[in-house]
Order: sequence, then structure tokens, then C-alpha cells
Amino acid sequence: MICHKTVLWVFRLVVGGVFIWAGLLKILGPLEFAQDIANYRVFSRDISFVIAIVLPWIEILCGVLVILGIFRTTSSLVLSGLLVAFLVLITATILRRIDVECGCFGSLGRRVDFLLLLTDSILLYLTLNIFVSSLKQNHESASP
Amino acid sequence: MRFKAFVFQLGVIVCLSVVIGVSANLSLVKQYLNGDFNQSFLSPKDFPSIQFIGLAEAEDLFMRGDVLFLDSRAEVKFLEGHILDAINIPFEGGERTVHGQLSFPRDGTLVVYCDGNECQSSIFLAKALAEQGFEDIRVFFGGWNEWITAGLPSSKKNDLS
Repeated sequence: MICHKTVLWVFRLVVGGVFIWAGLLKILGPLEFAQDIANYRVFSRDISFVIAIVLPWIEILCGVLVILGIFRTTSSLVLSGLLVAFLVLITATILRRIDVECGCFGSLGRRVDFLLLLTDSILLYLTLNIFVSSLKQNHESASP
Repeated sequence: MRFKAFVFQLGVIVCLSVVIGVSANLSLVKQYLNGDFNQSFLSPKDFPSIQFIGLAEAEDLFMRGDVLFLDSRAEVKFLEGHILDAINIPFEGGERTVHGQLSFPRDGTLVVYCDGNECQSSIFLAKALAEQGFEDIRVFFGGWNEWITAGLPSSKKNDLS
């Protein structure tokens, strides 16, 4: 895991920025996003709608918190959790051979494919670095 | 970081997100609770030219004779079997636009279908046609599976003229 402060700060900017951007695009088209979620054929219509309404704001809030360094451990853990969930969903979709748009960036969405899997994996690596570094920082500040 | 602090922070993030999300989309939430999105997330206000129909209405429209049926499945599936006289406009690859103009009166009735309840390509095609100015688009949600199960007129050849 990377410990260099400047590098971690860049990671925070990148991760936070990506999630804020993704959240904002989804907010512009909640029904389209709900339809994209429904297309995965994993969630019911009700769940798809709730996710479409709430998830973009979780992304934006956590993105802002990660950049500002507030609630950093929790927000980076939430984003890591989201990325793990996306990776599982993308993998399952590829294996089920369902041809859908990922819905990741609203109307600028892209297809679910291996490149998307790679992109999310890289983002997960960055986010986990932020999480682990904030855990270490909390531990060091808590130690006498 | 203590577990309690983590739970508190997580609660703040989730609660804020729910409150802001619902507040920002209050009209959509009301529409959803009214049942406006029972079949798809197309807003009737944004797409007034699109209606969802069942098998009975699809059959009635077929018998009328002046309605154009559009099959949004991939060509391979279309050639295996389709509603008699339907035209294939494949939208299964996540297409979002109809290439070229469909030669049909803008105020005529179009019926769009795909495999059945699980597929969404008919909705994508209906949206694209609405954006092209077609005024009466019916999405036959039961699709090919329901049509063939009912033993209604079908063809196994490409009937494009």
C-alpha cells in the first residue's frame, strides 16, 4: 500500500472527483439510471428505483468527504464497498452475457465489458489505499 | 476509529443521501407511488406518444391492417421467427438511435416488440422513434414469446420488401 502523502492526496482527488462526476450525471437522469439498473436483471423495480434516487447522492457525498478529508475512513470504505459491488455486478453481467450499458456515468454511459472491469479495479486500488492510510492515521493519533 | 464512530458517520451519510435524494426527486417519487412506472421507467410526461399494450390490443391492431409492427431483436432472432409482416430494426446491442428515417406516416400507429417482459430493446426503440416525431407508438410488452404462444400469425422468413 502507498504511504506517500502527496500521492495519497492525488488519489483522493481522483477518486473523489470520479464519484462526484458520476453522481452528478446520474442525478440529471434518474429514470434512465433506474432503467439501467433494472436492465441488469438483478434488482426488482422497487429496489432499482430506490437505488437510482439515493445512490448518486451517496457517491457525491462520499466523493466530497474523501477530498476534504472529513469522515475519510468511512467515506473511503463506502466507496470501496460500492466498487466491490460494481465489480461483482459487472462480472456477473459479463458471465450471463447480458448486453447492457453500465449506467455508471448517466447518459455518457458505456457498455459493460472487461475494460470497465479494469477501470473499476484500478479505482478500487486507489480507494483502498486511501482507506488503509486513514486507518493507519487514526491508529497513530489514538496511540499514546 | 471506533466502531460507534463508524456507524454514526455511515448513518449520517446514508440518511443525508436519502433525504436529499427523495427531496430532489419528490415528483418522481409521487409518480412512482401512483404506479406510473409499473412497466418501465419511461415518464408518460416526457414520452406522451408511447403507450404499453397487452396481447389483446396487439392482436386487434394487427387485424386493423394499417399498423406497422417493428421487431427490435437482433436479426438472427428475427429470421428465426417474427410477427407476420413485421420489420426488423435491431436495437439489442444497446442502440440509442434509428439509423435513417422510417418510411411511415408520423401519425400512423407503430407497434414495437422484442422477446417479452425481460427484454428492454423495444423500449429503447420506442424512445428513439418518439424522438423522431412518431406520434403513436405502442410497446407490446408480452413480445414475440407471448405472440407465438398464442398461436398468432407469424413468419420465419425475412419479409423486408
